[in-house]
Amino acid sequence: MKPAPRCPSAVPVRRTLLARPWLLALCACSPAGTGTGAAANTIIVGTGLAAVQALTRAVDAGGVRSLDPSLSTDVPGERVLDDLFEGLTRLDERGEPAPGVAERWEHSADGRVWTFHLRAARWSNGVPIRAADFVFAWRRTVDPRTASDYAQALAPVVNAIAISEGRMSPATLGIEAPDDRTVRVRLNAPTPYLLSLLTKSYAVPQYEPAIRAHGESWVRPEFLVNNGAFLLREHVIGGRITLVRNPTYWGAQQVRLAQVTYLPLDRSAQTDRYFAGDLAFTDSFSAEQTAWLRQQLGTQVVSGPYLGNFVLGMNMVRPPFAGNRSLRMALTLAVDREPLVRYVRQGLYLAAYTPTPPLAGYPAPVPDWAALPDAQRHALAQRYYAAAGYSARHRLHVELHYPTDTDNRRTYEAVAAMWRTNLGADVSTYNEEFRVELNERHLHKLDLFHYAWIGDYPDPYTFLQLFQTGFGYNDGGYSNPRYDALLNAAGEEADAAQRFGELAQAEALLNADVACIPLYYYATRHLIKPYVRGWTSNIQDRNLSQYMYLLEHRGQ
Amino acid sequence: MLRFLLRRALSAVPTLLVIATLAFVLLHLTPGGPFDSERVLVPQIQHSIEARFHLDEPLWRQYLRYLGDLAHGDLGPSFQYRNTSVNELIAQGLPVDVAIGGTAMLIALLLGGSIGLLAATRVGGWRDRLPMGLAMLGISVPLFVTAPLLILVFAIRLQWLPAGDWVSGSWRHLLLPSVALALPYTAYIARIVRSAAIEALASPFIRAARAKGLPSLTIVLRHALRPTLMPLVSFLGPALAGVLTGSIVIEQVFGLPGIGRFFVTGALNRDYTLVTGITVLYGALIIAMNVLVDLCYGWLDPRVRARQ
Repeated sequence: MKPAPRCPSAVPVRRTLLARPWLLALCACSPAGTGTGAAANTIIVGTGLAAVQALTRAVDAGGVRSLDPSLSTDVPGERVLDDLFEGLTRLDERGEPAPGVAERWEHSADGRVWTFHLRAARWSNGVPIRAADFVFAWRRTVDPRTASDYAQALAPVVNAIAISEGRMSPATLGIEAPDDRTVRVRLNAPTPYLLSLLTKSYAVPQYEPAIRAHGESWVRPEFLVNNGAFLLREHVIGGRITLVRNPTYWGAQQVRLAQVTYLPLDRSAQTDRYFAGDLAFTDSFSAEQTAWLRQQLGTQVVSGPYLGNFVLGMNMVRPPFAGNRSLRMALTLAVDREPLVRYVRQGLYLAAYTPTPPLAGYPAPVPDWAALPDAQRHALAQRYYAAAGYSARHRLHVELHYPTDTDNRRTYEAVAAMWRTNLGADVSTYNEEFRVELNERHLHKLDLFHYAWIGDYPDPYTFLQLFQTGFGYNDGGYSNPRYDALLNAAGEEADAAQRFGELAQAEALLNADVACIPLYYYATRHLIKPYVRGWTSNIQDRNLSQYMYLLEHRGQ
Repeated sequence: MLRFLLRRALSAVPTLLVIATLAFVLLHLTPGGPFDSERVLVPQIQHSIEARFHLDEPLWRQYLRYLGDLAHGDLGPSFQYRNTSVNELIAQGLPVDVAIGGTAMLIALLLGGSIGLLAATRVGGWRDRLPMGLAMLGISVPLFVTAPLLILVFAIRLQWLPAGDWVSGSWRHLLLPSVALALPYTAYIARIVRSAAIEALASPFIRAARAKGLPSLTIVLRHALRPTLMPLVSFLGPALAGVLTGSIVIEQVFGLPGIGRFFVTGALNRDYTLVTGITVLYGALIIAMNVLVDLCYGWLDPRVRARQ
């Protein structure tokens, strides 16, 4: 049987590049209620459009590392590329895939051949976009010579994996251009999330002459030829990026913002600049400041579900967790998730009992014990703990490792305390630098570790693949032939509802085996000025500037 | 003079070589590589990426290659900022740090120097104790407290100045970060100048000047100032080198595109070339500043000149 498409295009959470001690400092020096938000609170919003349509948005402090659609891997890059390039599909205002360069499409009955019909769209230099521009771009992404981290993201496309492994020529990739306005894509298996995948930067068209002429420098403002709603005006490496409206964009009539500026800032600087009126749309804020921000800014604090889970992984290839389901069960039962999200996580996040976050149409299997009252759940946990061979005299001693971050520390200290209180287990927490933790985890050197993950497309598979035998990121080493078979079967399934059913069955098995300890699901976090419109909280947290506009207002 | 400079320039070469070697070796010893990503890469792609940056070669060859490029002034390609060289990153970030660091040093010198001199002439009085107490505070309170405080007061409450960002040539964007960075240096300089001036004012030649009946101001400015500057100059050399290569805190808080944060994120991302490049630059600046300091010594003290 053909394996289910392996799409390692989801990234685990990498939340901070730097410890940010001044974040605490800022909290300390701006006590609640002193009215620092007074200026921000007195905004009067009108009904007409503002005369100046210029928006300043923030991105994570790491900044954009590359604007090459085949090479970009960071979230700031994704934000900017969403404005600069457009694929066959694009995200609409609600964050759902909608027609992009392709105005319509159809697929074969088995869901393996998709035909996209392109609209009369143009590159920023006026040249018409041809189907061949997609073929060129996709081949470039999977070509090992491009050395793209995302080469495997196109894995559902025929031969993509073999090409990225150097076994086949890029010309054999399952994408072709029968004529200038038709793109035909051949897939290994039905891929219900394909339309979502096509909105990503690694699937956008690229203008070959610019890349041939300028090599790696083609993404600089003076050379870039792109097809999105905005043009690149200025790019300070690791700093400010300024975009202006693209008059050659096919939907330029609907784009209202004349200029968009992206500033890379850490969370606390974003909040500062928001209060100072320099930013109208932040990328995040510190979870610890939530209550204070809500008090100061009210509805300007915007939070919603995000496609990411905060999960603990366990090493399934060595003791104490290998072959000891009772112990794993005891640990997951003994975590009080509601108080965790309410008090430690400030009510921002949603408690998790299964790895996959809530997705439209997907019947995520929540274990029965999730509904138990605390006392019963604790009693059950203690029974499992005893069955695993532990007691007050023979306590479990284990180390929990996580990448350094204040938010992580608070969560894990709380969880360790719950295990101490509810079971008597001795769990010590260790924080390590991100790359060190990652490295040790890959080598199966850690017993209990941070295993959070952010999905790339809204589909359970992006989360479930983590537990597939042999999957490169299966750091816990979980392996169950039945689970693998269920995932493979789902991969071959053309009917969407049937497929979700099979995936849910696999996930239920995962929960029964206690392959991980889900704690909560992430949430998007923004501060947004009341005069900024045209955005919706969406699970991928991608808000394209082309839909946004500013209402006339007084105050900032 | 020329011989002195030439000798110093020659002796700088082995020093820089040691710095580059240490940075290179330490970075390669750190666990985790630049392309250990969250995603697990296909071996061929991993290999392709490594080959592109010569990471597949034996370490000694990478080292020789690096030194060879360094000798030509080429610091190599950045690993984390694909499509960009370390030279470009430094060329882009250094002017920002030089502008802010230079302004901060100027403020610190003028302010700290005057406070120190004033305090030295009034030892024990409130005009000595108050500024010295404040100076102690300036040294103790870290930048990550003062910088957000300045933003809170001048950008958010009073809305006089921008809370951050960098606009080349705009003094309004320069002011807050420079002042924030200047505060601790002002405090250091005030303390150094005060103690040096107290010592100088107690020297026999000052007593002689007083005995001649010279006015107090002339004594301080014409006679006591030069020896007072000696310890200040030794402090300023390395301090200037440090300030010009960027302050990570100031850059983060104000969102400035300087090289300080390239250095820190570079280290976290194992961007070997970027970190080594900035380290070598920092080393070269320190050496250059120390030469300047020695030249200043000669100008300030005839005894040193004779030895040079």
